[in-house]
Amino acid sequence: MIHAVLVLNTQGKPRLIKFYYPVRAEKQQDIIRNVYKVLSSRADHLSNFVEAADIFGSETKLVYKHFATLYFVFVIDNAESELGILDLIQVLVESLDRCFKNVCELDIVFNFNKVHTVLDEIIVGGHVVETSSSEIVKAAEEVFKQESFTDMIAIALKSTGKR
Amino acid sequence: MSLSGMRGLSVFISDIRNCQNKEQERLRVDKELANIRTSFKNEKGLSVYKKKKYVWKMLYIYMLGYDVDFGHMETVALISASKYAEKQVGYIVTSCLLNENHDFLRLAINTVRNDIIGRNETYQCLALTLVGNIGGKDFSESLAPDVQKLLLSSSCRPIVRKKAALCLLRLFRKNPDVVNVDGWSDRMSQLLDERELGVLTAVMSLLVALVANNPDGYWNCVPKCVRILERLTRSQDIPQEYTYYGIPSPWLQVKTMRALQYFPTIEDPNTRRALFEVLHRILMGTDVVKNVNKNNAAHAVLFEALSLVMHLDAEKEMMSQCVAILGKFIAVREPNIRYLGLENMTRMLLVTDVQESIKRYQAQIITSLKDPDISIRRRALDLLYGMCDVTNAKDIVEELLQYLTTADFGIREELALKAAILAEKFAPDLLWYVDVILQLIDKAGDFISDDIWYRVVQFVTNNDDLQAYGALKARDYLSKPAVHETMVKVGGYLLGEYSHLLARTPGCSSKEIFAIIHEKFPTVSISTKALLLSSYIKILMHSQPPDPELQEQIWRVFQRFEGNIDAEIQQRAVEYFALSRKGPAMIDIMAEMPKFPERQSALLKKTEDAEADAAELSATRLRVQQQTSNAMVVVSQPFSDGPIHVGPLTRSSSSPQEMNGDLALTVTTMGQGQQSTPQPLAPATGDLLGDLLAIEAPPPASVSSSLLSSEPSSLEGLGDSSALALLDNAPSVQPIGSIKDWFSALCVKDSGVLYEDPYIQIGLKAEWRAHQGRVTLFLGNKHVGALTSVRAIILPPAHLRMQLSTVPDTIPPRAQVQCPLEIINLQASRDLAVLDFSYSHGSAPVNINLRLPVVLNKFLQGTPLAPADFVSQWRALTGPPLKLQEVVRGVKPLPILEMSALFNSMHILVAPGLDPNVNNIVAGAIFASEARKTLCLIRVETDPSDRTQLRLTVASPDAVVSLELKEYIKEQLLDVSTPTPQFVPASTGLTGPAAALAGLL
Repeated sequence: MIHAVLVLNTQGKPRLIKFYYPVRAEKQQDIIRNVYKVLSSRADHLSNFVEAADIFGSETKLVYKHFATLYFVFVIDNAESELGILDLIQVLVESLDRCFKNVCELDIVFNFNKVHTVLDEIIVGGHVVETSSSEIVKAAEEVFKQESFTDMIAIALKSTGKR
Repeated sequence: MSLSGMRGLSVFISDIRNCQNKEQERLRVDKELANIRTSFKNEKGLSVYKKKKYVWKMLYIYMLGYDVDFGHMETVALISASKYAEKQVGYIVTSCLLNENHDFLRLAINTVRNDIIGRNETYQCLALTLVGNIGGKDFSESLAPDVQKLLLSSSCRPIVRKKAALCLLRLFRKNPDVVNVDGWSDRMSQLLDERELGVLTAVMSLLVALVANNPDGYWNCVPKCVRILERLTRSQDIPQEYTYYGIPSPWLQVKTMRALQYFPTIEDPNTRRALFEVLHRILMGTDVVKNVNKNNAAHAVLFEALSLVMHLDAEKEMMSQCVAILGKFIAVREPNIRYLGLENMTRMLLVTDVQESIKRYQAQIITSLKDPDISIRRRALDLLYGMCDVTNAKDIVEELLQYLTTADFGIREELALKAAILAEKFAPDLLWYVDVILQLIDKAGDFISDDIWYRVVQFVTNNDDLQAYGALKARDYLSKPAVHETMVKVGGYLLGEYSHLLARTPGCSSKEIFAIIHEKFPTVSISTKALLLSSYIKILMHSQPPDPELQEQIWRVFQRFEGNIDAEIQQRAVEYFALSRKGPAMIDIMAEMPKFPERQSALLKKTEDAEADAAELSATRLRVQQQTSNAMVVVSQPFSDGPIHVGPLTRSSSSPQEMNGDLALTVTTMGQGQQSTPQPLAPATGDLLGDLLAIEAPPPASVSSSLLSSEPSSLEGLGDSSALALLDNAPSVQPIGSIKDWFSALCVKDSGVLYEDPYIQIGLKAEWRAHQGRVTLFLGNKHVGALTSVRAIILPPAHLRMQLSTVPDTIPPRAQVQCPLEIINLQASRDLAVLDFSYSHGSAPVNINLRLPVVLNKFLQGTPLAPADFVSQWRALTGPPLKLQEVVRGVKPLPILEMSALFNSMHILVAPGLDPNVNNIVAGAIFASEARKTLCLIRVETDPSDRTQLRLTVASPDAVVSLELKEYIKEQLLDVSTPTPQFVPASTGLTGPAAALAGLL
């Protein structure tokens, strides 16, 4: 299963954290620090997999992808396919891209609540519930519409100077 | 309103972003938290918008790493809000901030349930997602039926049903009882007919969880999975939105193939053929393409197909095809593919017959050991470790040694350990083995545990032809300017014992050897210094003709330590000094160490697992086998019965820790036996074999004092006589573990170990169908030689008809044979069948009688009870002999849930909630004998104030069944460690609450 989804920026600041098992707050910070330490020491042309027994216990791995200023990291055990998870990261990013029209780090910072909504449409309890980005976006947008957050995004974008 | 509220959130986030440092951030966060806390506390009519804003802020603060320990109640309360926006925030933030252990969550169960059974789809989705993420046991009990209804409902939209599937998965994980195999295998099979791929994706995850928990319960799903794969790989009816870079839902393809790997095998020939067609198409039809994402997805499918092929034990041709594909992968540039290629090739090693073809890629794999990516280097290391055998050990171990000097710090320890294990396991010759270990100590001394250097000393001691070589090597290493302390230990020891063999080699006179060792003396630890003192006196003894100058030097050392603060050093210094003045008499005392009894290497023991080695023997093992030295034979001698004592001259303890590094003392002991006080040794149990190595404890069998005093220097001679005596009276083979525990475990599960000793492992796998059973015995020879005169006889009790297939007379080394045993149950009985098993290793015959776990409950099948049926049946059966009741005392105190689990494990199905009293259990099962099936009803009434007693009632239409089942359940409930009623004289009566309860019942 998927144990956690972490989005960190290249300075190690958390942009989204979601654990699918109970973790205490201070332990979460430890984890983020350690994950960042591992990822930031890896060059770009290496594989997207890192064994993470030291951080998450035996048989766990980090599968990650580096986009511009962000790392998207999935923590998985050996019941998941590594390449399948890479596809899933791509699905998550494509879905965010469609929700935010060319997503960038700032969108995620100011709309972390929406990112949670999108993630909940992809993963429930550490298992994948949907892989089609158009279905994911459709469901998330239904939620946003009901929430009528649309204006807020505009404001958020304006106040941050149009990225 | 809403805008300004959420603008507050944006402003807060901006403020945090503008903080120059962590200190400023903390101040800003503290201010915000204080603000939120006061608002929650003081403002009674806090608007929902504000609540919403605060709750989001709390989540943001939590993500930044600050503990948010208040406001949980307010967050949970939002779930009950009437407006969607608040409700949504409540659900999302609750599932991030809280976990299943929070009590607040219970407050929400009712609202959550109302949302799940309500008509509003968006609410349903929110509620299902929350439960799917953090639902605990409480949720399982109250929500499972509603969630199941949504999943199965044809009127629900897919978006609800797929979430219901994963929600049910979570509930099942928290409480497996919510999904009953009997009903659900058909439902799962129907769910797999689903056309909607989103629902199918979620259902497939649910299937994996269910099958993983019960591999035999969901056979009917296998053909459905294969059909799904056919549909996907042929692109039949795949909507555009589920096509990922041109590939029909790769995720679902992967998941489906993963699900199939949870089934032990696929037997149905049609299904198997269809599946292999699909797999063949995937294996042959995947090409490398330019688009990264497409390539990625295609290979995800391909790797899963490879995995499934391995699992299915395909024909040899297909397997070699797989190896060829993997061989291609480990050479590609793309690092992910290379990584997975290596990983899968390591798994491939478990498949028989392909090891040879994997060896062809050895050079390529060694290249990967130098890859810039540590993930890949680790995979390569694992693979090399796995594929190593006698034929390639030299190459592989030498590569590992080379890599050791440049390897990352994090991987060195593992690397050193692996190299040491491979060197021992597969050494083509012993000189090489000694070389490798010394190199390892030299290059990675910090990572060499004591067992590794003990082991090399043991080999050198036990093999005369290694001794001079070992000493020479030790001299070379110690001559280097800076050496690791472990090298000083092993070198000092070997030179003490064997440097005299080098006397004629230039540069190896006693004096020179002493100088080399003594140069290291000032910098080593106390325990090493003690060891070196022993070496010195041995060197002194061996210097023939005596060299007064050397004697003077060594005496000076002893004298210097006569007053040392460390008692061990002081004692050695004093005694060695005294002993060394005895002149030639010292030779008897300081004789060479005797051979060590051969024990299983602690190193190998730690790492040895089920994997079958090649039958070829390494030099170390061969030597062990060929040696006829006395040391070999005494291995199994039980020391516990007391007649054999050693009398330590200098110490009163023989605990391994204290003897550590104290090798010479053993020898002094032997010459001085007559002066000593008897000191029993620790019994040589199986555990002792597991203790590090023989070095810490002297080889005791050779140390019988009377023998020694008469014939002090002739160890070889006495070994034979003592060995002979031992063979007569000692059980030569002891099981590794408890036969009783193995048996008990097998009573409630269907596969596992029945018996194991150093030579053989008997495993067992059973299948039960009503009154028939098929038990397969797996006889595995763990030994490096063949086991002969193998004989297995079944002694069946009267109520079982049993037929064992032929057992071969000989089991080849490291081989496993399977012997099916057919069983038919004629009647209920608690009598047990016995397996009378014997074999020989070498010339020693071994005979064991083992109870077979063909117990009553194997012929039971749990049956769900409807309340009305139960009551009518229960009433219909009145009193003995059909309905038997007994108050059982001295039972294992178990919480009611665990007791239910115990019953379920006995195939007696507990009907939860049927008895209104929560302290009671009602359960049912069908007992099958050849003639008929009998419905059995069981009721257990426990006493919450005293869990060691309960009232058990068993009813069935067959008096024999009732009696036997009642007695059987009683046996299972009784705790053997506490006195059972048998030990309490009935006449004395009971006092206190137990008596009161008995009276009530």
